Amino acid sequence: MRNSYVETKLLFVVDTMQSNIQFQKDAHTDAEIFQRMNPLLSGWFKGKFGRFTEPQRYAVLNIHNRINTLISAETGTGKTLAAFTSVLNELISLSEGGQLEDKVYCIYVSPLRALNNDIEKNLKEPLSEIGEIAAKKGKKIGIRIGVRTGDTTTAERSKMLRSPPHILITTPESLAILLNAPKFRENMRGVEWVVIDEIHSLAENKRGVHLSLTLERLQRISPGLCRIGLSATVAPLEDVASFLVGMENEKETRHCRIVDVSFLKKMDLKVISPLPSFIDITQKQIQDALYTQIDQLIQNHKTTLIFTNTRSATERVVHHLKDKFPKNYSEVNIGAHHSSLSREHRLRIENRLKKGELKAVVCSTSLELGIDIGYIDLVVLLGSPKSVARAIQRMGRSGHQLHEKVLGRIIVLDRDDLVECAVLLKSALEKKIDRIQIPKNCLDVMAQHIYGVAIEEVMHSDDVYKLIKRSYCYAGLKRTDFDDVVDYLAGKYVSLETRHVYAKIWIDEETKRIGKRGKMARITYMTNIGTIPDEAKIKVKLGEYVIGTIDEGFLQRLKKGDVFVLGGQSYRFKYTRGMTASVEAAHKQPPTVPSWFSEMLPLSFDLAVEIGKFRLLMDEKLAAGRTRKEILGFLDTYLHVEENAAEAIYEYFLEQYSYAELPHAKKILIEQFYDDMGKNTVVFHSLFGRRTNDALSVAYAFAVSRLMHKDVELGMNDNGFVLGSYSKMPIETAIKAVKSEELDKVLAMAIDGTEILSRRFRHCATRSLMILRSYKGRTKSAGRQQMSSRLLLSAVKRISNNFPILKEARREVLEDAMDIRHAIQVVKAMEIGEIKVQKIQTELPSPFAFSIAFEGRLDLMKGEEKLEFLKRMHLKIKEKIMQKEAKVEA
Amino acid sequence: MKDNEILDGWEIIDLSLYLRDESVLIVSDLQLGYEEMMNRQGVFVPRFNYAEIKKRFEGIFGELSRKDVREIDRIIINGDFKHEFGKILEQEWAEITDTISYLQKNCRKLVLVKGNHDKALEPIAKWKGVEFVDYVLLENGKTLIVHGDSIAFKEQLKKAENIVIGHEHPAVTIREGVKAETFKCFLKGRWKGKTLIVLPSMNSMSIGNDVTKNELLSPFLKKGVEEFEAWAIEDKPYYFGKVRGLG
Repeated sequence: MRNSYVETKLLFVVDTMQSNIQFQKDAHTDAEIFQRMNPLLSGWFKGKFGRFTEPQRYAVLNIHNRINTLISAETGTGKTLAAFTSVLNELISLSEGGQLEDKVYCIYVSPLRALNNDIEKNLKEPLSEIGEIAAKKGKKIGIRIGVRTGDTTTAERSKMLRSPPHILITTPESLAILLNAPKFRENMRGVEWVVIDEIHSLAENKRGVHLSLTLERLQRISPGLCRIGLSATVAPLEDVASFLVGMENEKETRHCRIVDVSFLKKMDLKVISPLPSFIDITQKQIQDALYTQIDQLIQNHKTTLIFTNTRSATERVVHHLKDKFPKNYSEVNIGAHHSSLSREHRLRIENRLKKGELKAVVCSTSLELGIDIGYIDLVVLLGSPKSVARAIQRMGRSGHQLHEKVLGRIIVLDRDDLVECAVLLKSALEKKIDRIQIPKNCLDVMAQHIYGVAIEEVMHSDDVYKLIKRSYCYAGLKRTDFDDVVDYLAGKYVSLETRHVYAKIWIDEETKRIGKRGKMARITYMTNIGTIPDEAKIKVKLGEYVIGTIDEGFLQRLKKGDVFVLGGQSYRFKYTRGMTASVEAAHKQPPTVPSWFSEMLPLSFDLAVEIGKFRLLMDEKLAAGRTRKEILGFLDTYLHVEENAAEAIYEYFLEQYSYAELPHAKKILIEQFYDDMGKNTVVFHSLFGRRTNDALSVAYAFAVSRLMHKDVELGMNDNGFVLGSYSKMPIETAIKAVKSEELDKVLAMAIDGTEILSRRFRHCATRSLMILRSYKGRTKSAGRQQMSSRLLLSAVKRISNNFPILKEARREVLEDAMDIRHAIQVVKAMEIGEIKVQKIQTELPSPFAFSIAFEGRLDLMKGEEKLEFLKRMHLKIKEKIMQKEAKVEA
Repeated sequence: MKDNEILDGWEIIDLSLYLRDESVLIVSDLQLGYEEMMNRQGVFVPRFNYAEIKKRFEGIFGELSRKDVREIDRIIINGDFKHEFGKILEQEWAEITDTISYLQKNCRKLVLVKGNHDKALEPIAKWKGVEFVDYVLLENGKTLIVHGDSIAFKEQLKKAENIVIGHEHPAVTIREGVKAETFKCFLKGRWKGKTLIVLPSMNSMSIGNDVTKNELLSPFLKKGVEEFEAWAIEDKPYYFGKVRGLG
């Protein structure tokens, strides 16, 4: 039903562990399914829907037979009911026969509390309708449904304990807490089904890793567990399925059937550009055209959902629409929705959407997941969504019913965006989905679970190790890494006298058994569970008035008197005090430091490679001397873009081709020029997405700075990266010096002492409970955690450079924040000549180089030792002082 | 300006100040017990401040003996010898008595100046036979050594020509373009017509308060820190002129 990335897939080792994962090839007929169902349920189902949807035909009977199942389908295709039909069927039969026990039969887990409420409603409704049918027949159905999240009150909790819900609706974090709750845990012996909703959004981060271990711990007390995953369109499904089911043994995953019924809805997708050309046009002209276009789109449809990628843009778009078209938009019919807004505000917007009161809603990413938002007939994406899967997910929010068409428009604002989105839509229409990466062997999450296990029972360390390795995320876990984490938890990194303070568990050297330490263990564990880090934001204050927040990393850059832009206004930085920065207004003064956007989404590697392939095709056509007409014809058939867009793309590529050269999938262009300050600037045209470019740029900047013993500036975006220095840079030597098989070592050295490592270390230290967010009734702010983590990092480094939590922070930076795996692939391809490297010099940066050289986030790779720097600056200041003194004397 | 002399005969040795004529060594803000306080707040920082401080003192004594200083007359700890307010924590107890004995062995007389964190230090001082005072006014009557968390002892302040304080934990950031590195530092400037010297913190766990951009703590430094001169400390002192020039 979909294409896979055949070529790029060759570069990976085929996962031999996945032989138990199979695609469900045949659908069952409605008759077959109805035949197996309880008459009460089938009667209700026939009356309500008449027939089954595709996902249901493929999945219901498998689940009935307790086969683990992953269902990949769009929202509105009956996916949820596909999972629950068999569960309800069985529970109704049990209830009818009076055999329903007081225990949890089914657990539903979703990443969003809002989704939990939707599901509760969507289950209670059919159950009460079925109950009515049953009542007419003189039967009684008593199936209980309960929601358990952080919001659940104490009264509800104790009620749940007395009569446990048969279907428990919860979040990953609350499930983990329940597993460690001594009494409730008893209700979870013999759970028969677990349903993981929106599994694609969990599989690629540590929340999912945490859940995967929770599931293994659940399976230990519920051996007959059948696992069901619900996913939006995502790839590779085999990996997501493996993540869902975990390992049968050392070599193979458990059995799983994949039901892939994605791309059921018809798609009407287009890239549109507000203006026919992006050349010689002012920012204001673009803005005016953009809002006119958005207005037209909204006015021509009933309800429009607009995605903007960033929170600040969300506010801006709503503001401008109201400002420019006061007749069309006001508080009454347009709203903003993003994660910085209060929960009440978001709920209000969601409800008004559902009721159809709003003409348009503008959101950042917050409405991507499948909460019920009612009828949307058009989805507009402002700027590239950066991945095919995300584009499909967002645009799939329109036409919520199965037979309706998905209507999506991407509005692009510059030429790079145009090319990117055109290729993205081509991929979407051709059903090529970019692949997610599942984090592996996360030591911090594991530490949290080992502690949880130890609190529950005394267990042999071999058994704990085996339990953890059952999660797909830990299938390759090394015993030494496991032992290091156990040693950390047992306080073995500190001296014996103080161990009692640090040790969370004990391990008996002879029996090798593990158990908890301390009376406070359970409460400490329960109040610090989870993986989502608190972000340390610096409040910016003008007098007593808070104007907004900035990243801590950004604050570190600021010096007294610096001017920066926040929310469209200029401010001068005065001083900091704890977690606040004091500023004064700096009207109309140009900023002295560029603002940077940490919330930017990275371009997926697979999509980046597709764009590179498109560039290659264009290069061949231009080199073969194809005419304008021929190439425009090619763009029409290959990219399916409108004439305006095709013209703009043609112009852009022709300019680059004539002025310099076209970089593409098989050629990295290295372009050197001097900027107007005379700085030696080297742009690498490496279109691999920002996560891969992050790794590549840091590796090369590190090599160059080490060779020079001088600092090197670096910047990067999705399309490439840039190195800058006032001296000549040994680029070629650096390229030869960075070897694919040593890239991990080079990067580990390069990120030492960087801001990102210290931030990620804080997250890891919190997850592994070295820093307790909540302790003895007190909760620490992110700011306090950050201050503590700095001390902790320097302390940990003194203990060992291989301290497991430090090691995990490095892994997280290299594998999760950056994309070292693909960076290694790129370097390898350069080594074997599959990707050519071509160096050119230009007077002015080439058209493709512009965004890389001037928009990329600027950073510094330190090649000069701290002491050397101090000595050099000292000499400099000494000279200055001596000159001054000489002047005074004269 | 000599890099290692902050005043005539006042020598910077690592994070300490040595007054040659009086043979007095002054240090400030050791903050022993810092880690235990962190532990109690749920941050499991391993303990190494004490070991690092001891290493630092060994270095300072080594350098003094290379300069033919046979015996230090007095070592003055200018406040915040320990970290936590109030109750003395278990770790602190051992570390404090140990440090006191070690320092006593290396001088004729050890003096503790009271800091804002030291309220409960008196019993230990008494037991170990250490002088525990609000301030030290040197024999020449010109130099006042006081912690600096508040402007008290007005009489003595009025008389003194030189004031030495701690409390601030000063550090400076040296910048060049986007590059920035922070160092512990000594500060020297004017306060009400007198010379004010600010000692860096000896706590090895934190670099201190960056006076080029953070709000300052000591009432002695509420204004005009830009006019103070700074000595950044790394392998040795480096004179950097006025703070104003660093921003």
